[in-house]
Amino acid sequence: MKSLSALAQNYIDRFETALETLPGQSSRSISELRKAGLEKFAVQDFPNKRVEEWRFTNLSSMTKDVANEDGAGVSALTPSLFETDYEIVFIDGLFSEEQSKLDGLPNGLSISSFVDALENGAVFSLNSEEERSLIALNTAFMQDGFCIHVGEKTKIDGIVGIKFKNSGAIKNGAHLRNRITLDTGAALTLIELHEGDGSYFSNPVSHISIGEGARLDHYKLQNESVSAYHLALTDVEVQKQGIYKNFSFSVGGKISRNELKTVILGSDAESHLDGAYLMRGDQHCDTTTLTEHKVPKNISNQTYKGVLDDKAHGVFQGKIHIAPDAQQVAGDQLSKALLLSDYAAVDCKPELEIYADDVKCSHGATSGELDDDALFYLQARGIPELEARKILIEAFLGDVLLSIDNEKVREYFSTRSAHWLKQS
Amino acid sequence: MLEIKDLRAEVGGKEILKGINLTINSGEIHAVMGPNGAGKSTLSYVLSGRHGYEVTGGSVMYDGQNLLDMDPDVRACSGIFLAFQYPVEIPGVASATFLKTALNAQRKFRGEEELDAMQFLKLVREKTKELDIKDDMLKRAVNVGFSGGEKKRNEVLQMALLEPKLMLLDETDSGLDIDALKVAAEGVNRLRSPERSALIITHYQRLLDYIVPDFVHVLADGKIVKSGDKSLALELEEKGYAEISAA
Ligand SMILES: Nc1ncnc2c1ncn2[C@@H]1O[C@H](COP(=O)(O)OP(=O)(O)O)[C@@H](O)[C@H]1O
Ligand SMILES: [Mg+2]
Repeated sequence: MKSLSALAQNYIDRFETALETLPGQSSRSISELRKAGLEKFAVQDFPNKRVEEWRFTNLSSMTKDVANEDGAGVSALTPSLFETDYEIVFIDGLFSEEQSKLDGLPNGLSISSFVDALENGAVFSLNSEEERSLIALNTAFMQDGFCIHVGEKTKIDGIVGIKFKNSGAIKNGAHLRNRITLDTGAALTLIELHEGDGSYFSNPVSHISIGEGARLDHYKLQNESVSAYHLALTDVEVQKQGIYKNFSFSVGGKISRNELKTVILGSDAESHLDGAYLMRGDQHCDTTTLTEHKVPKNISNQTYKGVLDDKAHGVFQGKIHIAPDAQQVAGDQLSKALLLSDYAAVDCKPELEIYADDVKCSHGATSGELDDDALFYLQARGIPELEARKILIEAFLGDVLLSIDNEKVREYFSTRSAHWLKQS
Repeated sequence: MLEIKDLRAEVGGKEILKGINLTINSGEIHAVMGPNGAGKSTLSYVLSGRHGYEVTGGSVMYDGQNLLDMDPDVRACSGIFLAFQYPVEIPGVASATFLKTALNAQRKFRGEEELDAMQFLKLVREKTKELDIKDDMLKRAVNVGFSGGEKKRNEVLQMALLEPKLMLLDETDSGLDIDALKVAAEGVNRLRSPERSALIITHYQRLLDYIVPDFVHVLADGKIVKSGDKSLALELEEKGYAEISAA
């Protein structure tokens, strides 16, 4: 038998003790579920380079960075500047009722913590075919999270915010389990804000279900500490005429991975996955998507743009899978990276698995440096080099940021990218 | 204003400028003509400070300062303007934003108050009107999807806005029809003053009917092989470069 990584072994060793404090210990079914998760994880270990989907992202530094001891100092958490209308807040992976803003929710919208949802009999599960070890790990150790439900034909005005603040006090894992359910004809805009200080491991797993004709605008700011590990997995199912739009803006993390799996189960449905990532130093940012078209007549598209400076590393893996009778499907995918230094790099792996014949698919991946001619042109008009570079980087990011429908979010992410540029 | 002495420069390890001597005094307009590949654009890039154009000998003094020590943006802010032979397309940067940023960078450099959006718009509208340029160009990305003529007009607009002391025009006339050519010439003539000078690179004597030069130089194989007054341009047109260069 192959030996497990030290970090995996550590998780396994403390599972029995953890069970006593993790929520739901009184429920047999939850304990069974956790055990099933742990068993699965124990066979798989943390993903390593032998796993095809993890060829470009190496987690081996995690063991020493995210050891079992809890962090020493709790730093003062800087509050996020983004104002939302309703808010659920997690501090170091645990729901904070005090900091949340859940009064006066409109009819048809319910927001609760994972722990409350468990108490109210919510059922969580682990698919027997699930092969992703991080989901198995999350199932074993899930300690909190959120459940959002929007009722039939309910369209929510305003923005629901989910703030995850990590102080570094708990290094070995904020295993959050989240669920978003939109009933037929419902509509919701939400933003996840992940922020923190120090070294820690954040492992949010989300399941999203978009009902018939429902629409979710799902934004995410990944601004974890540059010493943190952020490994997020989001699974989405979209029914007939449903729309799922995701935009992820990533600037944080030592190693981060945003894994999105969208399954389109109805016709006239849409999935749009877009994002921008800005990385420097030794940061590593992985975006991995899988879009499955199960039935005919629907569309998906993806546009990701990355700016990489110093020794930063970007990864984009995007797979579009079209089932045999899923005709008249359009799937587009584009990944562009701007490399600001000779040591920055990006790995791209676009994959099309098409089993239907009447489909329109495209994919493209480019990476390059700033255009010297453009840079000189700007300088020749009196614009200093540093400012000229910023103008060109902002221009590179411009169109993907413009694709953000929500004006407030668009402005916020644009401001954040300007802020990032100022630090160079 | 500009004093070029025995200027030598390489591009990609190949010597292109092989000892240029040229003095431009305040208020003078000099035309430089010469065959393709002679080094005319190279000269304009060396003067504006483009990377990759390595000066291997000689000197260039501009207003009593060593021009070759200055960064390209500092040269621009000090009054040197190059109208590019091939203006660069910059996707994602709106022309208006670009012009405003450039103008304010130069104003800031000179210690002047920066213009706000309204002041800028008023100024730029004046200039587009004078130069017969459609305002909608300002909304489009810099040079993206512009026709050859539009790109050249855009160069002239930038020049009108930035009001340089030394205008370097690299074949601004090529690709322009006669009406556009007149507008471009008008743009230069409008700026003409005892404090301003110009170096006009052209293939055709046609432009010089509208911008009358004080001196005409022939550049061939990296050297100025002949200089004269405006009649030299006519002579060139008649006899061609080969004969003049050989003479
Ligand atoms: N980037 C470059 N790399 C190598 N050779 C160049 C480059 N740019 C120009 N040259 C060469 O330098 C010479 C002069 O070019 P240029 O200055 O553009 O001439 P002109 O403008 O007079 O037509 C030509 O032989 C050209 O091939
Ligand atoms: Mg030329």
